[in-house]
Amino acid sequence: MDFDLTKEQEMIRKEVRKFAQKEIAPIASELDEKEEFSETLTRKMGEIGLFGIFVSEQYEGQAMDYISYIIAVEEIARIDGSQAATIAAGNSLGIGPIYYFGTREQKEKYLPKLCSGEGLWGFGLTEPTAGSDAGGSKTTAVLDANEWVINGSKIFITNAACDLSMGVTVQAITGTRDNGKPEYSCILVESDTPGFKAIPMHKKMMWRASNTAELYFDDVRVPKSNILGKKGDGFHQMLSTLDGGRLSIGAMGLGGAQGAYDLALQYAKERQQFNQPISKFQAIAFKLADSAMEIECARNLLYKACWLKNNKRPYEKEAAMGKLYCSEVMGRVTNHAVQIHGGYGLMKEYNVERFYRDQKLLDIGEGTSEIQRLVISRYIGC
Amino acid sequence: MKILTTVKKVVDVELNIHIENGAIVEDGLQYVINAWDENAVEAAVVLKENNGAQTTLVSIGGEDNTDMIRKCYAMGIENAILIDEPSLAGADSFVYARVLQKVYETGDYDLVIAGKQAQDTDNGQTGIILSKYLDLPCVSNVISMEVMDETHIKVSRLGDGGIEIVELALPAVVTVSDSINEPRLPAMRGIMMAKKKKIEIMDLAKLGTSLDEVGGAKSQIVEFMKSKTRQGGQKFEGDAAEITTRVVDLLANEAKVFI
Repeated sequence: MDFDLTKEQEMIRKEVRKFAQKEIAPIASELDEKEEFSETLTRKMGEIGLFGIFVSEQYEGQAMDYISYIIAVEEIARIDGSQAATIAAGNSLGIGPIYYFGTREQKEKYLPKLCSGEGLWGFGLTEPTAGSDAGGSKTTAVLDANEWVINGSKIFITNAACDLSMGVTVQAITGTRDNGKPEYSCILVESDTPGFKAIPMHKKMMWRASNTAELYFDDVRVPKSNILGKKGDGFHQMLSTLDGGRLSIGAMGLGGAQGAYDLALQYAKERQQFNQPISKFQAIAFKLADSAMEIECARNLLYKACWLKNNKRPYEKEAAMGKLYCSEVMGRVTNHAVQIHGGYGLMKEYNVERFYRDQKLLDIGEGTSEIQRLVISRYIGC
Repeated sequence: MKILTTVKKVVDVELNIHIENGAIVEDGLQYVINAWDENAVEAAVVLKENNGAQTTLVSIGGEDNTDMIRKCYAMGIENAILIDEPSLAGADSFVYARVLQKVYETGDYDLVIAGKQAQDTDNGQTGIILSKYLDLPCVSNVISMEVMDETHIKVSRLGDGGIEIVELALPAVVTVSDSINEPRLPAMRGIMMAKKKKIEIMDLAKLGTSLDEVGGAKSQIVEFMKSKTRQGGQKFEGDAAEITTRVVDLLANEAKVFI
């Protein structure tokens, strides 16, 4: 058994960490406070190659493995969940479906810009009335001669309503299957298509510096060739995209937990009460010890899931476990971290408060914790 | 234009370095690229991007220098030579400069860019001694550099009282300050491309020379000592007038800052 990272993976960790500390750390709080998505910062992340990480060089991707991708997301999340969300959604949900299911023409048209960070792409799945019950979605696409006519709406779509947004992949009902259930297909819609509207969502509790959108499709017409893969493959494409996406959400939990733990450990060593650093009190030290242990377990589980994917082995169960466990570890660690900071932990001047808020999305987005438990329970034969 | 950039691997001086019996404790040491050499690499890569220069890096050391070399590849350096010669352990600036001279003579280089000093020894000698061995003009502490034509560059150097602008005929040696640029972080794709690139590994024999020819060290470090740590400050509490009298007394008679 070899637990060593490759030289390249180690270099990626080191360089992305440097980038996050230099470029993101100084402005993370301010962007969060102002609820501002930074186009400049997104472009900078593109310049160092944080988009298209697992895409081949043919489409101007970075041609890296999944562990490298997850390390990059982890290191960004260690400093700021919002920027990690832009990266994770950009790669797994924006670029992923086009790369894995698109035609050569679609890939050549969109991927180079998406891989350079010049453009972002959304993944339109969740609807106002269809969250965990993805089968309950109502958006439709009807073929009219050589065009799809799309009607409906989507909600909570990352990267879809900023100046960099180039379009979205929308999952829509395109017919009825033999068993009477709806047939789903994924269709590519460019942002400037008439009838398509993307509106940024505000007043978020977390990920306040990431871009979240509501999408409206009002008789949106796109060429028939904009379908992703085959007609009727939409549900399978969505499930497969979410399997990969779970790894990056896991990485956000892992990185966020590490970031909050680092802050708490440093604070506990500096904060004096009763004439000694509070890290010397077992009540505090044990919280930190538990956090360190859980982060270690989370990292091993998540990296193993990535290793399975790298080696083209089934990884879906471990991906669900990784997403669930890393998210919940971050929940416990950020809770400890705020507690260790005492009153200061409740103040925005101390970053730990932001980590505490950012964590909550991880229990809900890209498959709630309840759905992850459902997925795992099915894999173990319940 | 062909550029040779020299890169040294140094102990990460930001971490605690322990000294026992006059020697540095090797356990737990971490190594990084010398910060000024990273500026030299960035300067070379900028000349490649803007002026089509060809860039080669040379480093002296063992196989563990390859991580640092790959980082330089990821930043945009095109070729790298590693002089892996265990007998050079304990060498000083004169020996290193002699070895670099031999490397320079194997290629048809127009410009050598070196960091002005290394953060481990802070000697600041190697680049300048190299220019002497090569009988080439040298400008040190360079803070900007531009290509004038095929055979001339214009550089600014930071002097004590101001900035000197120097036009320099090539071939030449420059040693750069850390204010010349901000080294880029290697991009992801660069890291992956670096993995595929070959490093030319040479020893003195392959370089067509020998330990006798490059000569022995002219200086030797006999002992390391910890520098004195900064003393903690004094805190004064109480009546403002009394404190002022006391502080002035200490400044005058103990610190002797009033002459």
